[in-house]
Amino acid sequence: MASVLARRARGSAAAALWSAARGFASVGSDIVSAAPGVSLQKARSWDEGVATKFSTTPLKDIFHGKKVVIFGLPGAYTGVCSQSHVPSYKNNIDKLKAKGIDSVICVAVNDPYVLNGWAEKLQAKDAIEFYGDFDGSFHKSLDLEIDLSAALLGRRSHRWSAFVDNGKIKALNVEKAPSEFKVSGAEVILDQI
Amino acid sequence: MAPISVGDSLPDGQLGWFDENDQLQQVSIHSLAAGKKVILFGVPGAFTPTCSNQHVPGFITQAEQLKAKGVDEILLISVNDPFVMKAWAKTYPENKHVKFLADGVGAYTKALGLELDLTEKGLGVRSRRFALLADNLKVTVANIEEGGQFTISGAEEILKAL
Repeated sequence: MASVLARRARGSAAAALWSAARGFASVGSDIVSAAPGVSLQKARSWDEGVATKFSTTPLKDIFHGKKVVIFGLPGAYTGVCSQSHVPSYKNNIDKLKAKGIDSVICVAVNDPYVLNGWAEKLQAKDAIEFYGDFDGSFHKSLDLEIDLSAALLGRRSHRWSAFVDNGKIKALNVEKAPSEFKVSGAEVILDQI
Repeated sequence: MAPISVGDSLPDGQLGWFDENDQLQQVSIHSLAAGKKVILFGVPGAFTPTCSNQHVPGFITQAEQLKAKGVDEILLISVNDPFVMKAWAKTYPENKHVKFLADGVGAYTKALGLELDLTEKGLGVRSRRFALLADNLKVTVANIEEGGQFTISGAEEILKAL
């Protein structure tokens, strides 16, 4: 309860102050240095996992030398994530590519097999690359984790989006509450690129 | 915690579940199992092959025979959240009796002494593959695999024991 009140208090300040007050992930910071030693797990089937020896992808491979739009969400197969957040990026993929974006990435604290099943169900794998932050270390390093145990989800990610150019965070949008979908969609970030 | 075995009492614990009316509930194992004959079977992970293609289907197709032999509940648990379990359950439209329960942070699996570290495979700490038969909370059959193999933990073995 105290953390909810704290979040509300922080939310009443200007949005710019909110993201500037953020510890580890903020506009201007380098996303790879903010999370040293962290890797993500590309969404894949179990067989693909075996074939690739369960290899992980270091952040620098994802971000260096590229213009990336990345968005994070609380969980695969949940309401807003499935119905609004992923479709927003799937439906705007052409506009994002037209603005020079090399990859659009969706990340969540799920294992790569669950993410793969979900991405296929949403028919979004062609447009978006899905990565699992299975132990939450990526989001923890960026100070974007949130305890959703009350919703039986455990430690997850906030709902957020960012435009990252060669590893530098150029824009960062974080919803005040994970159930909201106001600032982290594709339309907002298209204006920020 | 030593792995649960024959003669032990099933510990109580809360699991997440989307019920028939699509409402998210927390259910206690004891409320489902006290005074009843129940099968509790566990898998390492939703949407992984052996779990999806062999272990779960076995219990779904044998559910009627198991019920005919006096089993009241067939409970599936996995260290996954309830949204994922609900989505996984939907991939089995023919399922009538198996309840897909979510052990979101693995607390119940830990209480059973059946954790399996699958961090290397990107899964974190999960459950060993197992099947238990419990009569009024007393474990009468405990078929526990070493890891994720599928040799003794299927529906056939439980049917033979009934």
